[in-house]
Amino acid sequence: MSLPSGVTIGDDCITAFSQLRSQRHSNKPRFIIYRITEDYNDVVVEDSSSEQDYEVFRQKLVSAVDAQGKPAPRYAVYDVEYDLGTEGKRTKIVFITWVPGETSVKERMIYASTKEQLRRFLDVKASIHADEVGELEWKTVLKEASGGKA
Amino acid sequence: MNPSNPPQAAEYGGDEVSAIVLDPGYSTTRAGFAGEDAPKSLIPTYYGKYNADGQEKIVYGDDVFVTPRPGLSVYNPLNKDGIVEDWDMAEKVWEHSFMSRLTGTKAGNPFQNGLNDDGTQEPPEEMEVESDEKPLSDSPLLMTEPGWNPAKAREKTIEIAMEKWDTPAFYLARTGVLASFASGKASALVIDIGASNISVTPIHDGMILKRGVQHSPLGGDYISSQISALFKANSPQPITITPHYLISSKTAVEAGQAPQAKYKTFPADKAPDASYRALLEERTLAEFKECVVQVWPGPTRLSAPGPNGIPNEDMARTYPGRPFEFPDGYNQVFGVDRFRVVESLFDAKAAVPDPESSFPPPTPAQTIPELVKASLAGVDVDLRPHLLANVVVTGGSSLLYGFTERLNHELMQMFPGPRVRVTAAGNTSERRFGSWIGGSILASLGTFHQMWISKKEYEEHGPNIVEKRCK
Repeated sequence: MSLPSGVTIGDDCITAFSQLRSQRHSNKPRFIIYRITEDYNDVVVEDSSSEQDYEVFRQKLVSAVDAQGKPAPRYAVYDVEYDLGTEGKRTKIVFITWVPGETSVKERMIYASTKEQLRRFLDVKASIHADEVGELEWKTVLKEASGGKA
Repeated sequence: MNPSNPPQAAEYGGDEVSAIVLDPGYSTTRAGFAGEDAPKSLIPTYYGKYNADGQEKIVYGDDVFVTPRPGLSVYNPLNKDGIVEDWDMAEKVWEHSFMSRLTGTKAGNPFQNGLNDDGTQEPPEEMEVESDEKPLSDSPLLMTEPGWNPAKAREKTIEIAMEKWDTPAFYLARTGVLASFASGKASALVIDIGASNISVTPIHDGMILKRGVQHSPLGGDYISSQISALFKANSPQPITITPHYLISSKTAVEAGQAPQAKYKTFPADKAPDASYRALLEERTLAEFKECVVQVWPGPTRLSAPGPNGIPNEDMARTYPGRPFEFPDGYNQVFGVDRFRVVESLFDAKAAVPDPESSFPPPTPAQTIPELVKASLAGVDVDLRPHLLANVVVTGGSSLLYGFTERLNHELMQMFPGPRVRVTAAGNTSERRFGSWIGGSILASLGTFHQMWISKKEYEEHGPNIVEKRCK
């Protein structure tokens, strides 16, 4: 076990995630954005949506702010759909950690030390860490999801 | 109770109990209360020993620097690898770091402390004295350690914390992981430039990848030795550092002119030991590193021909020099030499030769680029690009002017394929106290209480519990 923060992962985190993972219809969630509460006690769901446009998700993620209106870190899971041509369509869930450059050292520490707890709890293998918008391009996410195949 | 799992309930007191964070380095020991932005107590890890009235006395903390006592000699309880060698003294130095500024000293025996001497009453024959009070009975303690700290040393550390200091709860965290987390990353390649060591520690998903941990002695103390070598070979005249305690007055002189100072002299039986002088010379060298020394920015090495066919060294000569005044008033402008003293961190061949130095000439394998290469060779090939994209620079000596820029160039040349990104805190105290600050935040979290190793668990499972819980 890595050095963990002990922050609790709320039940709604897993509920939302199982909808994303197991449902098949077109209205199923495409992504979930998680945040750590202001008292640093729990991870909770901030947003969950079936929006198909990746750019909408990216905008939502990078425009996350804290109570003071300053850019703030978030976790997210995104269900990536990709086409391998003859091998057909695949989907893969990618775990994303977003820690913008302006984040205080305290929040950096808390998000970094809680990340593994959440990722393991959700059991998502593929993961991306981003601290600037450029690291969240669709091609980066696609590459991580498909293992470089798509 | 299974020792691998922390207990469920948060049973080690509420938020009102302030944990203490202790980050023991080779050159300095940092201690402070969890939740604060910087360590309140910053003391040298060195301690001094001298004889007075036939008794051996020991001085700790900043007091070591203050008085040049007869026969005062200076020691460090850590060895050059940053691992504890003298446990008894390490315990004392660490204890001083939190007792002098944080917890306060123990109350003395009321028989002898003078507070009850009103002179009218006969002192009572007997009185109950709580003499076995221990320094940390009320404070959980989070300590840090380097990634190469051996298991035996980890067990000894928890033993001291629990048995000598009586801490109710303990945690041992690795400096590399704390530095990585403090930059917001659960996976990173941490390059730590300390006083006695430079180290490269790969962290993946919050775990240290032991096989990739590399370290070498080319830290701040080595750079000091390079500067000393430069001073010996200096022109127009060799420079000797005379520490402030040996100077009673000085007169301003022109640059490059012999110093005009009045010196203090100590008769042989009153003089402090050579190790004391060396420690004080180091203070001047530290100042020199902060004010003068500069890392050649690259992209190519200082010894290489530059982009326009002009050798880099000739380019460096055209840069304006930086003046420095020594304690005796001697002053000089340092030009290209100020680049040469740190060049060997990247290029072993560039070391300033000094046969008398206590540091043998560096080998190529000890340089930073080679340490990084060796470190990456020790980890899974799929992880390498992730680590190179998340290089975190920390440690006091990384504040050398131009260091991160050069590191970036060196890594990009060594690994032309993957994206290399070097991050370093812009804030000086975050760089110097990176792991202390990380520990401070973690230990202040209400939720972290469940991670502590409690006294009860220690008593049940013995010191080996640290191996199971603090991985």
